[in-house]
Amino acid sequence: MTFEIALRLTEILLGWAILQASLEHLSLPHMPRMLFSLRATLAVMLILGLNSSFTLTLLLLISILLLHHFQGPYNGGADKMGFLILTCLTLAHLTPPAWAELALAYLAAQLILSYFISGQIKIMNLEWRTGRALSDVFAYSAYPVSENLRALAHKPGLTFTASWAVMLFEVTFPLAFFHATALYLALTIAAFFHLSNACFFGLNRFFWTWLAAYPALIWLQTRLIGA
Amino acid sequence: MLQILTDTLRLTLPALIPSWRFFKAVQPSPRIEWRSPDLDEHWQAFRPRPTHLSPITILQRMIWNPRWNETLFMVSCSERLTAEVTDHSIGEILKPLRQDMPHKATTLQFRLKFIDRIDGTLQEQITFTSGIYPAQHKGRDNDI
Repeated sequence: MTFEIALRLTEILLGWAILQASLEHLSLPHMPRMLFSLRATLAVMLILGLNSSFTLTLLLLISILLLHHFQGPYNGGADKMGFLILTCLTLAHLTPPAWAELALAYLAAQLILSYFISGQIKIMNLEWRTGRALSDVFAYSAYPVSENLRALAHKPGLTFTASWAVMLFEVTFPLAFFHATALYLALTIAAFFHLSNACFFGLNRFFWTWLAAYPALIWLQTRLIGA
Repeated sequence: MLQILTDTLRLTLPALIPSWRFFKAVQPSPRIEWRSPDLDEHWQAFRPRPTHLSPITILQRMIWNPRWNETLFMVSCSERLTAEVTDHSIGEILKPLRQDMPHKATTLQFRLKFIDRIDGTLQEQITFTSGIYPAQHKGRDNDI
């Protein structure tokens, strides 16, 4: 994948993620409507590729305003990843080519770390290794989208197997970087992982936002190894 | 100006250099309960989750899930409020609460209940009980 295609795909996917989140905000009565209307409009401009440098800079400024407004990310990790992608994209547009490549490479590296670190800290924790942590997520965390999902807390074999599947996938994710086919396979599994999180825990915005970072990693793999 | 700059750095740096430590451990989990003291003394769970969701609803929520995402933001605000009481966190919790209040309610109060596993059993602890507020927002939030 060329740098230009990766950049354009990232813009389209991030534009969709921002548009989706902004429309959700606009449906709630007490949100700053002007800000989210402008953000939704800019997201459409980003998808269409209209004046990308200007659009990205404005979107970045609005994201900073929203961080102040909510005194932190509204949607936790999804907003953090969205801000990171937005910053890297903006830098990629505003800086000379070498720096632009560095900006996208930084995003790709952070994507690898996002899986590796979250796997590594889990695998070091006895509660995760025994499956108890995942049982507790279902038993009493605020995340399960329906009460019947809480019954999964009482299936220790399932939570044990699922915990190890997630941890092993996350810690071995960086290895996929060394082969194009392995990377596509790993990203497909990762997308299904986010999809399952969206189904079980309602984390729909994580799915769209993380997907937006994938082109950067595919490009970096091609740039450093694939060719 | 310096304060704005410091705040901006405090808010943006965790996104630019993220720790990615998702679910390192399962923390005590907050629930928001509310009551309208003029209508009923009993506490009620705020937005109790449904017993079951159909596969179609789950798929629809991939695209459209504003109330759930708002509820997750209230979880963040509850955690912030337990760490430090601020007008901002109280205000952000009050907004959706007011939206869901029965029309005839004139006052509103909420509390935070945290659930945690202690010595192998799930236990509940009330960590915060708010003042009593008007059920409809009229400018700045002050206790009644």
